[in-house]
Amino acid sequence: MRSTLLAGTTAGILAAAALAIPANALSDTAADLSVLHGVPDTPVDVWVNGELTLDDFQPGDLAGPLELPAGTYSVAITAPDAADDSQPVIGPVDLPLEAGTSYTAVAHLGADGAPTATLFTNDIATTAAGEGRLTVRHTAAAPAVDILAGGQAVVSGLENPKEAVLNLPAGVVSAAVAVAGTTDPVIGPADVEVAEGVNTIVYAWGSAEDGNLQLAVQTIGGLHSAPGGVNSGQAGLAADPDPSIAGWTTAAALVLLLGAASGAVLIRRRAVASNGR
Amino acid sequence: MSIRTAVVLSSLLLLSGCTGVAPSTPVPAAEPAPAIDREPTVTPAPRPTAAGEVPIFSTRLPSPDAPVPPVRVRVPSVDVEVDVIPVGVRKDTLMELPEDVSVAGWYRYGSDPTTGAGTTVIAAHVDSLEYGLGPFARLKGAAAGAEIVVTTVDGAEHRYAIEGVSSVRKEDLPVNQIFDRAGPERLVLITCGGQFDREALRYSDNVLVTAVPVE
Repeated sequence: MRSTLLAGTTAGILAAAALAIPANALSDTAADLSVLHGVPDTPVDVWVNGELTLDDFQPGDLAGPLELPAGTYSVAITAPDAADDSQPVIGPVDLPLEAGTSYTAVAHLGADGAPTATLFTNDIATTAAGEGRLTVRHTAAAPAVDILAGGQAVVSGLENPKEAVLNLPAGVVSAAVAVAGTTDPVIGPADVEVAEGVNTIVYAWGSAEDGNLQLAVQTIGGLHSAPGGVNSGQAGLAADPDPSIAGWTTAAALVLLLGAASGAVLIRRRAVASNGR
Repeated sequence: MSIRTAVVLSSLLLLSGCTGVAPSTPVPAAEPAPAIDREPTVTPAPRPTAAGEVPIFSTRLPSPDAPVPPVRVRVPSVDVEVDVIPVGVRKDTLMELPEDVSVAGWYRYGSDPTTGAGTTVIAAHVDSLEYGLGPFARLKGAAAGAEIVVTTVDGAEHRYAIEGVSSVRKEDLPVNQIFDRAGPERLVLITCGGQFDREALRYSDNVLVTAVPVE
């Protein structure tokens, strides 16, 4: 890097270039696991590898992230206050977790209304400067849905337990969920902030039949990237003197000092040559 | 470092047109406690407790940390005093800047002086064909230790001391350091400088003034 220090020090900002670590960097050996409880009305206990991990976990709550060494984990969900995980309501399910990856395990209702669990992988790729990411997940006992933004379907025919991922300019989206092929919202519309550098994950959960469809929102931040640069001038009024011209000036001064005609010609030729014209 | 995760549950209740009797939600009965018969000396095994602390996030509306935008920046030692407006990113990924050379732009996706971490980035055109030479042209004459005062929209004044002034080739600009949002609190003022390419109407360098908060 060519940088010229004009005053003071810039150690803080220019020296540590090699140490830049993406804010979203996960460990090389561990995975991040969050757990969302998306079964209405029923507090549960969550057991991981036979250990009680979440006690009396309430519907609509999200736990984590837990940083777990990569590997496969057996997760069972029981009624609250179960003595062990031998009589699970959901599972046990094996969750293979890879290092450097972010997951959300969701206990939810299947399209048919039966409790189930789904492991989603969260997209934590860097977002473009000025953009955010909106992830929509269908984890409700409901048919396929369309996701509407500003009244227009931006995701069509999303089925339980699928997701759609959109990268959008940062801002607030007026989002609604409608049965696929319709525009009459069954959830919303709600203002969802798609923040810059954040993956905003919206879950539709609950049961259409029971009239308790809801949204849950999980956010994963630190995915931002910097602008490509700063172009902050266009007229040349603040330009430094052209170094080749400066060289010519210096050479001319030298000639005057020396007062030697032959030397002057030589230096002058050099200056002209270096000026490239 | 693990990802910061927050969760929010919007309290939207639904208006599904569906009515009717709810089928029983799958709430399995809790396992009955084991009967204790004729062995009064046996104490029931204590129920296991949850291993470790797992953060639980509940039903909160999304409450993004509302930024506190800077509205004015002063560098008295070089007679710079300009209004500041929030700016974002251009389609070509460069930082957006106000056209008027006497107005600076604050990178609104980054830190502000109240964030408590990261760099507050404020930049302005050094000159323009329409407005001529701007106040930020004087930044390269600023000295280490000189004061910078940033006024935020709430009227608070945030004082910084210049750590250094430097000129960096644009292609070498360490944007990840400059637009850092997690490191130590800093203020960076940016404009253009260096050589000027009269065909591309482009300067070769960015002039950076880095400053740190003064207690």
